[in-house]
Amino acid sequence: MIPRLPFSLLLMVGLAAIFVPLPVPSTVPQERTFRIEARQFAFSPSELKVNVGDTITLKLVSMDVVHGLYVDGYGISVQADPGQTQTLTFTARKPGSFRLRCSATCGAMHPFMIGKLTVGENHWLLRSLVLAGLAVLGVLGQPILKA
Amino acid sequence: MTKIELTRHPLLKSFLKSRYPQLAVFVLVLAGFVFAIVAGLIGTPVGSRNFSIVFVWIAWWAILILVAVPFFGRGWCAVCPIPLPGEWLQRGAVLDPPGKKPGWLNRRWPRIFRNIWLQNIAFLFLALFSSVLLTTPSLTGIVLAIMLLAATALSTVFERRAFCRYLCPVGGFIGIYAKIAPLELRIKDKDICARCKDKPCYHGSPAGYGCPWDVFPGGMTTNTYCGLCLECLRTCPYDNIAVNLRPFCRDLVKPSNRLDEAFKAFIMLGSALVYAGVLLGPWGMLKDAAYHVGTLAWFTYAAGFLAFIFIILPGLFFLCLMRAQNSLSMKQRFTSLSRALIPLGLMFWVAFSLSFVLTNASYTLATLSDPLGLGWNLFGTAGIPWQPVGTSILAPAQTLALVVGLIGSARTAQKAAYEAGVSTFPVIIYCLGLTVIMLWLLI
Amino acid sequence: MKRPEVFSRILVLAGLVLAAGVPLAFWAQTPMIHARMSEQGGWTPNVLRVEAGQPLHMSMTSDDVVHGFAVGLMEIEPVDIEPGKVTNITLTFARPGIYTFYCTRWCGRNHWRMRGTIEVSGPDSGTDSSVIPLYVTLGIDIDEPHVAPVVPGRLPSAVNGRELVLEMDLTQINDPEFYRQNSPYQAFEALNSVSLSDPEKWDVVSALWLSNTSPNALDRGKSLYARNCAACHGENGTGDGVFADDLATGANLAMQTMDGTAGMPLQRPANFTDPNQMLGASPAVLQGKLLRGGMGTGMPMWGSIFTEQQLWDLTAYLYSFQFDYDNKGD
Repeated sequence: MIPRLPFSLLLMVGLAAIFVPLPVPSTVPQERTFRIEARQFAFSPSELKVNVGDTITLKLVSMDVVHGLYVDGYGISVQADPGQTQTLTFTARKPGSFRLRCSATCGAMHPFMIGKLTVGENHWLLRSLVLAGLAVLGVLGQPILKA
Repeated sequence: MTKIELTRHPLLKSFLKSRYPQLAVFVLVLAGFVFAIVAGLIGTPVGSRNFSIVFVWIAWWAILILVAVPFFGRGWCAVCPIPLPGEWLQRGAVLDPPGKKPGWLNRRWPRIFRNIWLQNIAFLFLALFSSVLLTTPSLTGIVLAIMLLAATALSTVFERRAFCRYLCPVGGFIGIYAKIAPLELRIKDKDICARCKDKPCYHGSPAGYGCPWDVFPGGMTTNTYCGLCLECLRTCPYDNIAVNLRPFCRDLVKPSNRLDEAFKAFIMLGSALVYAGVLLGPWGMLKDAAYHVGTLAWFTYAAGFLAFIFIILPGLFFLCLMRAQNSLSMKQRFTSLSRALIPLGLMFWVAFSLSFVLTNASYTLATLSDPLGLGWNLFGTAGIPWQPVGTSILAPAQTLALVVGLIGSARTAQKAAYEAGVSTFPVIIYCLGLTVIMLWLLI
Repeated sequence: MKRPEVFSRILVLAGLVLAAGVPLAFWAQTPMIHARMSEQGGWTPNVLRVEAGQPLHMSMTSDDVVHGFAVGLMEIEPVDIEPGKVTNITLTFARPGIYTFYCTRWCGRNHWRMRGTIEVSGPDSGTDSSVIPLYVTLGIDIDEPHVAPVVPGRLPSAVNGRELVLEMDLTQINDPEFYRQNSPYQAFEALNSVSLSDPEKWDVVSALWLSNTSPNALDRGKSLYARNCAACHGENGTGDGVFADDLATGANLAMQTMDGTAGMPLQRPANFTDPNQMLGASPAVLQGKLLRGGMGTGMPMWGSIFTEQQLWDLTAYLYSFQFDYDNKGD
C-alpha cells in the first residue's frame, strides 16, 4: 500500500529536514523579565516561553538554600542566596529549547533540578519529528527482510 | 558479507585464549569496584563529588550503554568483577585450569527460576528507588556490596555463575540488548559438535572450565546468555569456537516465545520514558514523588510506574496484535512481536543517557583527583568546575539515536509481523508514537 | 600450586587490600569538620578547642548545600564551604575566651542556628571585656510594644531636614546620647516648641538620624542586612522575605517563660517599612533586639556575631526604610 520510496528521495528529504533553515517569525524584540523561584529541587515557573530576539532578564530568587541558574546553549549562570536576588540578562538569539539547570550543589537531587526555556519554536523537535515520520514511511515501503 | 571471523587472526585468538590479559583486567576492575564501594560508604555524601556515584552512574553507565552494549553486546560481562570472588572460590583457583574439584555444593539452579523474571524484578526494585540510589553514595556502595556478596554466596551453593545468569539486574537488560550487537561468539561447524562426545565446552576439561553461564555453545543461536568469558575458546578440543563480527540486529531475526524476555523489553522501554520525564523534565512534583521514598506521593509514583510498564505499554501493544491472518496464539504473537521493541528500547536508553552524561561528564575529572571528597588533588583536576559539554550536539545526537532505533524496530517488526501473520502497521505506529513522546520529553 | 597461580593470588589480594585499605587509612587520619544544614545536625564537631596563641587548623567540608564559615566578633573574611569540597583555614586567637563560629551562606530556614564554639584556653587576662548592652543600662524592656502615635504622611527627607537644621538651635537633641536613647517619634515630640510644620519636623528628625551615621556605615549596614536579614525580612524590608511564610505558619512555641505561661511564638518577621512600629523604636531598642534576639520568635540573637560597630551600623541602616537619606524619593 505504501509505495517503495527510493532511498535517494528519502535521503534528500531527510537532509532537507535537518538542514533547511526554518522561518523565524519576525516579532518585535521585547524585554521580558521572569522572577524564578528556586527551591529544592525545582524552579518555579519551570517552563518559560519567549520570542527570538527578546532580551530576557531572569531574576533568581532562592527560597531555601543557595541555588544557581545555568542556561544550556548560552553557558551563562548566576548563583543566589535566599534574601539576595541575582539577575541574569541575555538576548535570546537562537530559536529552540534550552534547559535551565541549577549550578550550585543544593542537595541530593541537584543534578535533576531542571527547567525549560523555549525561544520561538522548538525547531529541532520539529525536525526530529519529521525525520521519525520519514523513517517510518521509508520502512513501510521496503520489502520484508528475509533472514 | 554476513560474518567476519575475528578469531581467524592467530594473534587475537591467542590473546583471547590466554588467561593473563583477562586476569590483569579482572584485578584492575575488581580493585576499582571495591574502591567504589569504600568510597561510597566512607566518602563525602555529596554525590557529584564522590567516586562511587560519578564513576558508577556516569562514567561506567556511559561506557556501558553508549559503547559496550550496542557494539559488544555482553562485553561488560566479560570483564565484570562481581562474579569473580565466588568463581575463584568455586574453582579453588584464580588462574589455574581445573585440577582437584573443590568441595562446594554446586547445586543446579532451581527449575522454577530458570528464566529472567528474577532479573526483571531486581531491575525494577532498583528502578523504583533510582532517584535515591543515583544520588546517595552510601546507598550505591551498599548495593554494589550486596551484589558482590550475593554473587559470592550463591557461588558457594549453586553451580556456575548463578547470580550473573539469573539474578543480576544489569545482566537482564544487556542480555536482550546483546541481540543487536555486531559481535558474537558461535561455533563454526555444528557437525563437529554433533560428533563430539564429551562436550568439554559445557562440562569442562583439564584445559578450562565448563561454561559458567550454563550455556551449551554448540546449541547457542543468540547472544542473550553468553557472557563472553571465553572459557569455551579454551576448552574446545576441535577449535570450533569463533568470535565473529556480524551485522547489527542479527539475533532479532530469530523469533522467541519467551514471556520473560518480552516483558523485559517493556520494562526497559517504559523505564526510559519515565526517567526522561521525571529526571530530565521540568516537573518538580514528579521528582519529589520519585525521591521521597515511603511517602504517599512515592507510592503513587511507584504504582503509576508499574502500571505503565506492566499494563499500559503491553496492553496497548496487545491491541496492536489483535487482527491476525493465521492461528498463532496471542502469546506467540505477543512474544514474537515484542522483540521488535528491543532496538527502540536500547536507543531510548542511549538518548536518555546522552543527556545526563554530557551534562555531568565534567564531574569525572574532579572525582578522579578527589574520589572521597577529602581535599585530595591527585591529578590536579579537583578544582575543575561543573560544565556541561556537547550541548549543541546533544539534540541531534538524541534524534539520530531515536530515529536509528525506530528504523531498527520497524524493520524487525515487519519481519516478525509477517511471520506471525499480523499487520505490521499498528506495531510500527506504536513504535512511532512512543518515539514521538520520547523526542518531546528529551528535546 | 604453580607459581603463576601463587602470583595471581597475591596480585588479587594486593589489589583488594589497596583498594579498600588506602582510602580507609587516609579517611581515618583526616579530621574533618562537617557542615550540614541545621536540621541535619549543623556543625560536626561544633566545639573546637585550642590554646591562645596556637594555630587552629580546620579542614571543613559540606555534606549537603553551600555553607560558609566565619568567626563572630572577629574581623576575618568569611570563606565558602562547598558540598564535597574541602576548605582549609588556620586561625590563631590571641586572647582566651569562647568564640562563636557560624555559617555565612543561607542554608535553609534555620541557617542562623548553625553555630559552634571555639574554646580558647589560656591564662586569664583578668579584665572582662564584655560590654553591657545599652538597653540594659537604660533599663528598657525591649519586648514592650513601641508604637508611634503620630507618623509622617510622606517619607521624611533628610536633605530637606538638613537645611532646616542649619537654621535651628538643637543642642538638646543633636547629640549621640539623645539619638541612641530616643525613638524618632520622641525626637519629633521634642521639637514641639519649634515653629515648623509636622512634615518639616519629621524632615528634621530624619536629618538628625542621618547625622548620627555615615555613608560608609550605611553601606556596611546595607551589606549586613542583605546577607543576614533579607531572607526573612525581605529585600525591601517589608517583612516578606522568602522564609516569612514559614515563620508565620510555624506558630509552635519555641520557648516558654520561666513560669510556664505562654512564651513568644514564632511570628512573621517585622516590617521595617511600617512607620507605626519603626518610628516608635529607639536605636537602643533595635540594637537590643538584634543583640539579644527574639527569644523564640525566630529572630536570631546576634550578640556573639556582630561587633558593636556592626550592630549600630545595621541599626542605622534599618531607619533608612523610614527616611529618605539620598533624595531618591520612595
